[in-house]
Amino acid sequence: MATQVVDHSALKVNQTGIIATVLVAVFGSEVVPALIWLIPVLAIVLLVGTFAPRFALFKQLYFQVLKPRGIVKPRPVPDRPEPHNFAQGLGGIFLGISSLLLFGPPLLAGDFRPGPGLVIGLALALIVAVLAFVNLAFGYCLGCQIYFQLGKRGLIRAS
Amino acid sequence: MNAQVWALAVAGVVVLAAACLEIFRARHARAKTVGATAAPASDPYILYFTGEGCTVCHTHQEPALAKLGAVRIDKVDAIADRTLADRFNVYTLPTTVVMTPEGRALHVNYGYATAPKLERQLAEARGAGLQAATA
Repeated sequence: MATQVVDHSALKVNQTGIIATVLVAVFGSEVVPALIWLIPVLAIVLLVGTFAPRFALFKQLYFQVLKPRGIVKPRPVPDRPEPHNFAQGLGGIFLGISSLLLFGPPLLAGDFRPGPGLVIGLALALIVAVLAFVNLAFGYCLGCQIYFQLGKRGLIRAS
Repeated sequence: MNAQVWALAVAGVVVLAAACLEIFRARHARAKTVGATAAPASDPYILYFTGEGCTVCHTHQEPALAKLGAVRIDKVDAIADRTLADRFNVYTLPTTVVMTPEGRALHVNYGYATAPKLERQLAEARGAGLQAATA
């Protein structure tokens, strides 16, 4: 069935990058408030990486640095990249919504500090990190399951 | 830290609610599926629903199925064969259905099922097959 090969180490590095960035943004912003801007930056990184994989920051870190230096060993698995890209895009969208909740209303008023949507915005970012962790630790990819459901209903070409 | 603590609490509640919903969904689908029928066979067999994009199928489920030895495994592409997938309420991949020799679904596993679990279920299916044959 699956004729392509996906390097799962690249996916794991990507998930680790997402978790680390969200945790630094959420909890680090208590000490350095500017760190909260990592959330919109991560949203952009994920969305750009979905549509142009060569600009996927964490995957490029793996392919250009970690893999050539032998820091992370490759783990090729017969698989398809589309569900994983879809899941990454979904993560990007949720972080985008989180960014809008965090900065949308204040930015309109010319203020660069988070507004009243702070708690919900941070919670949404944490949920993205939890889902990335579940994928990293247990191999359960919620975005891939949504991709399968959409394919089953004929909404996207999944097979 | 107040906002961070509240955000953590909100995220925790959402994740907990999603986990409960998933457990309810699996139980509901399992209750609807047990007893569904497919083709009969001489021995118990497994209907294995998979798909090209299912990573866990390749990395976990297929090695577990390979450990079962000489058991018939009918591999079904859940997207290509939607009718069969809907009959067994396949909402997640992988899904494994342990069938009795009469072609009745005895156990349904939504998500990854380990080899020992499948072996136990197959043993039960063999017992159910014997009971049906002697009845």
